Amino acid sequence: MNAHDTGWEGAGTDRPADPQPSRPEAPAPDLPDLAAPYPEPRTGVAALSLRYRIGAALAIAVVGVVVCVHVGMVFLHVAPANTVTKQHGKAIDDWIYPEFEQNWKLFAPNPLQQNIAVQVRAEVRTGDGSVETTGWYDLSAEDGRAIDGNLLPSHTQQNELRRAFDFFVSTHDNDNRPSGLRGSLSETYLRRIVVLRLDRDHAAGKRGSISQVQVRARTTNVPPPKWSGEKISDQPVYRVLPWWPVTAADTDGGAE
Amino acid sequence: MNRFALTVSAGIARVTESALGPYQSAVVRIGFSATWLLFLLREFPHRQEMYGPHAPWSWGLAQQLISDNGAFTALMWSDGRVWFELVYALAALTSVLLLLGWHTRAMSVLFMVGVLSLQNRSVFMGDGGDNVLHLMSVYLVFTRCGRVWSLDARRARLASEALARGEQRVVDRVGPALWSVLGFALVAVTAGSRFDGADPTVPVILWLVWVAQGVRWVVGRLARSAEPRILLDVVANVVHNGALFVIMTEACLIYATAGWYKIQGSRWQDGTAVYYPLHLDYFSPWPALADLLSSSGTMVMLVTYGTVMVQVAFPFTLFNRRVKNVLLAVMMTEHAVIAVVLGLPFFSLAMIATDAVFLPTTFLHRLGGWAARARARVFARTGRTSLPGPRAAENPEPGSDSVSPAPTRT
Repeated sequence: MNAHDTGWEGAGTDRPADPQPSRPEAPAPDLPDLAAPYPEPRTGVAALSLRYRIGAALAIAVVGVVVCVHVGMVFLHVAPANTVTKQHGKAIDDWIYPEFEQNWKLFAPNPLQQNIAVQVRAEVRTGDGSVETTGWYDLSAEDGRAIDGNLLPSHTQQNELRRAFDFFVSTHDNDNRPSGLRGSLSETYLRRIVVLRLDRDHAAGKRGSISQVQVRARTTNVPPPKWSGEKISDQPVYRVLPWWPVTAADTDGGAE
Repeated sequence: MNRFALTVSAGIARVTESALGPYQSAVVRIGFSATWLLFLLREFPHRQEMYGPHAPWSWGLAQQLISDNGAFTALMWSDGRVWFELVYALAALTSVLLLLGWHTRAMSVLFMVGVLSLQNRSVFMGDGGDNVLHLMSVYLVFTRCGRVWSLDARRARLASEALARGEQRVVDRVGPALWSVLGFALVAVTAGSRFDGADPTVPVILWLVWVAQGVRWVVGRLARSAEPRILLDVVANVVHNGALFVIMTEACLIYATAGWYKIQGSRWQDGTAVYYPLHLDYFSPWPALADLLSSSGTMVMLVTYGTVMVQVAFPFTLFNRRVKNVLLAVMMTEHAVIAVVLGLPFFSLAMIATDAVFLPTTFLHRLGGWAARARARVFARTGRTSLPGPRAAENPEPGSDSVSPAPTRT
């Protein structure tokens, strides 16, 4: 898409007030009457006749309008709900989604003050045909250990499980009932992650296979700072999800 | 009224005559392409788990979500492993070429395609750093970000030097070839109904840039007067300046949003907020360091209040150069600290790259000088002919410098 970018991107070749007299690519020969009064041929609208100035004005108008509309839309998108967003929410969403979506409430209004650990256990059909239930695997603790002392944590350690569970929570009610398409997508996603992680932990043993999984989240308050004198409960709260059957479609997971 | 008219015409002259902030746009280009490149290299071992066809967020799941929201991703064009590897490799390659400024406009488009393809494929994998990279990769397409510190700039300089010596003008064959290949791909993708049902934003951008580059080439070749060429130059400058304004505004909105929402938070009010992220398992790679940093309640409160003040104040300080530069230094330092302490290196890099759009030109000149001297020293040490000093900082831009005239260089 860059057929001719020598002059297009080339540094300094089209400078308006370039002090150097040698400007071999300058369009001076083509422009005797316009360029004559200047030591250098001018660029910008000053170098254009009326016909072309109209074209330039049109370009300025179009770019100006697009820039203003875009900036306004982004502003309304990040602003709190207000009179304008209530009236024109649809238009704003149409402009912003999907490519200009953004969320900058970084640690705001309050930073998260709880550690949410996602844990999983599995029902395993062992090699000899019996069925066993494993203990709880603390997958978030595994992530935490992978992040400890790591200058470059991977998104697979820092974001994958954490955000998948956020996604699950935001698309389910308190009784873990999904809402809409996203609810069912988030369930499948979370199930595929925990199956992959159990597989890496060899939860099913050598010849066994996982038939069901159960996820729970253990939420613990971050202990308040020593100097604050605040007292909050240090007892974890559990949210236990129902058992999910694991199908073949859940086990083709990820990392080869 | 007369003064108003004068101001307007001076403003129009300014935004049409030149692409403002050549060094700032170049440093943003280099910053974001480097961030993305390092990210892709870092995640190379995890690429299948993140974006591959059999990732936990599988191709089928992504398909269902994307048919709902219409986001652009080339990875949805095939669920094959080979296609995925190809897209990943191309994303890395184009970020290298954009970093170097090789056919910058084309590479900025491919860079955007790479960023959107991978990120939109697995939206639940990203964080704030991915978000800012996503936006900036789109905005960069509209800037003339390769005018300095790029292979394009070098090529233009060599060509004009050769012309000055009376040698024949070198014809660029790569550009038209690239344009043809990409045009063929664009036609094939469009004809293959890959854009059907998708959000029109990205397809429109792709077609617009492709047509514009074609028009530019035809006009450069065929136009009898210089005016059409100058008009296109004016349009390109206006688009660049508009995009640069959007990038700056976006940065301000990021800080304003982050700051103003914090003011309403009780933890930011009672001065303990900074303590908490340091004690989240997912954001504490160095627990001992976090404990040390949060051992003094007064220190934590100063940092907490300072963070909010800087974020809220930053957009307003743009009206005062000196205060702006101080705050810029503070914010870049804070992001560098966040990179290590909260274990968010790529988020921090992306934010520093965003901040860089506000760096003063004098500083960037000096930076260019250092880089050129460092390069010369490296080449001298490896036994090759040493290059003349600060080559990277040539072509200072008159009229585009918001800070001061030419710096002192060797």
